[in-house]
Amino acid sequence: MPKIELKHISKNILKDVNLEIMDKELLVLVGPNGAGKSTLLNVIAGLTDYKGKVFFDDKKMDNVPPHKRGVGYLFQDLALFPHLNVYSNIAYGLNVQGYPEKVIKKRVEALLDALHIGGLRERYTYNLSGGEKQRVAIARALAPFQKILLFDEPMSGLDPQTSKYLRTELCALLKRLEITSVFVIHDLLGAEEIADRIAIIHKGQIEQVAAPNDIFFNPRTDVVSEFIGMPNILNCDYCNILSTGLVEVVSGDMSIVLPYEGSSIKKLAIPPHDIYISDTKPPGPALNRYKGIITEILPVNSTIRVRVAIGGNNMLTELQKSAFDEMNLKVGKEVYVIVKLRRLRYVEP
Amino acid sequence: MSFKRIAITFSFATLCLYAVLILSLLYFYRGSLFYEILISERTLFSIRLSITTATVATVFSMFFAVPSAYALSRYNFFGKQLVDTILELPMIVSPVALGAMVLIFFNTPYGMTIQRNGLQFVFTVYGIFLAQFITTAGIATRLVKAAMDEIPQRYEEVAKTLGASPSKAFFNVTLPLSKNGIIAASILTWAKALGEFGATITIAGSMAMKTETIPVAIFMRLASADIEGTVVLVLILIGIGLSILYAVRLFTAKTPYV
Repeated sequence: MPKIELKHISKNILKDVNLEIMDKELLVLVGPNGAGKSTLLNVIAGLTDYKGKVFFDDKKMDNVPPHKRGVGYLFQDLALFPHLNVYSNIAYGLNVQGYPEKVIKKRVEALLDALHIGGLRERYTYNLSGGEKQRVAIARALAPFQKILLFDEPMSGLDPQTSKYLRTELCALLKRLEITSVFVIHDLLGAEEIADRIAIIHKGQIEQVAAPNDIFFNPRTDVVSEFIGMPNILNCDYCNILSTGLVEVVSGDMSIVLPYEGSSIKKLAIPPHDIYISDTKPPGPALNRYKGIITEILPVNSTIRVRVAIGGNNMLTELQKSAFDEMNLKVGKEVYVIVKLRRLRYVEP
Repeated sequence: MSFKRIAITFSFATLCLYAVLILSLLYFYRGSLFYEILISERTLFSIRLSITTATVATVFSMFFAVPSAYALSRYNFFGKQLVDTILELPMIVSPVALGAMVLIFFNTPYGMTIQRNGLQFVFTVYGIFLAQFITTAGIATRLVKAAMDEIPQRYEEVAKTLGASPSKAFFNVTLPLSKNGIIAASILTWAKALGEFGATITIAGSMAMKTETIPVAIFMRLASADIEGTVVLVLILIGIGLSILYAVRLFTAKTPYV
């Protein structure tokens, strides 16, 4: 039974959106700016009016006001109460819901410990660092025992390293507390790291909802394919384990050597921007380097997409217009293709 | 002359204008007379009456202003534009005209019924309070609304998602955050009520030791060519006014979080 069910939701850009979010699931909404991601969170929280129906555990929530929905919400700007100290910010939800003082103290102390902010309890929020504010906001959202939590780009103001660390910590906490959560994340790689499932939203429509690997290997629409960077999907014929942690994957006429700890790979996804082409023979070892013939050239904004036939495989590459102009590339020309395996996605049998 | 200097020159010109007016009072200032007039029963009555009525009018104005300002700041409702426009009536219509409107109302059958069966407003202390209330309620609402507009609505949304009802979100979040603005608005409303003259004299008249507020007393002393007495009362009003402005400055000094 889904924890959250949205049926025929329409509001602003959202048009007839249907979505099911499972109990204890961590769903990440990904899409370009203005796609309707935040509006969808506001609909779930009841912070905006809408057309359609929202169910929590099969119970209709459309006429339930936000404060009775039991949905916590971590906004992008955090909006910590500036007139309250850290302790009172975290205790706010419990206080307004009338929990006894003893329960409030125990819960707040537990969250201060869990998020490593015990030393901040007396501080006011306006003089905390970005990371500290983020932790306080997370603790405040978790405090009132909500079973559903919404996160609207919660780490957007932090540096990538802190953001990644905090996100991993938060997700572990959400799993431990068995909370159903919906994240809005701008960055697809970040989404992939934490999501049970990813929902791609574009111009107010849900294009695809699937596990991260499914999205990459089976994009259902052109929009999804474009959004995930149109990866080249290679079906692997067989694998040779070269040594511990190194495997040779053979797909048609291509043989790719890559770091891999498992026993076999069924499919490989290589993004176009990880494939380089050169009209002259590049120096260095011939590892993951192939000869191919250009079959198609597609200008897209400031980049050029070039499709190259390598034996039976058609590989899509992407290069800057300036680099393209320097090489005098045209359809039918023979080029060298180099595959850089920066981020590997694969399907195992 | 640079643009900066021109701008500063204009600001000093404004200062000079008011400084000349204040200093000219000293030409007619008699030290011995100041104390005598200040402690006279009639002056003390005017001060007491002005402070009492201004305080009561301010309390009532704020009682209406805070919820009205919140509604105008946060909600969209039918007639919002009309309410918003009407609030500016005391600013665009002269206080005498407002007073005349009240007098005319009390000459209608409804007004006369109120006067007969309820409170007698015309030519009484209640009239002073009413005059001050109608000239300040709109301005008070406008000032409180400005304070509330500065508080992002997001805080209330967060409070609601944490389980606070709309009223709890208002009392626990919006009200404390706009506290300084509301206090500053109350002080300015009080100062405006204290200096109110046109509507007061039209509704409550100018009876010595009955409806004589400080501005009315100034008018009456001036009308009887008592320049020294006028100077003393004007200085008292200026003293109270400047103290009020200083208090407003203190309360509107930006707190770190707003």
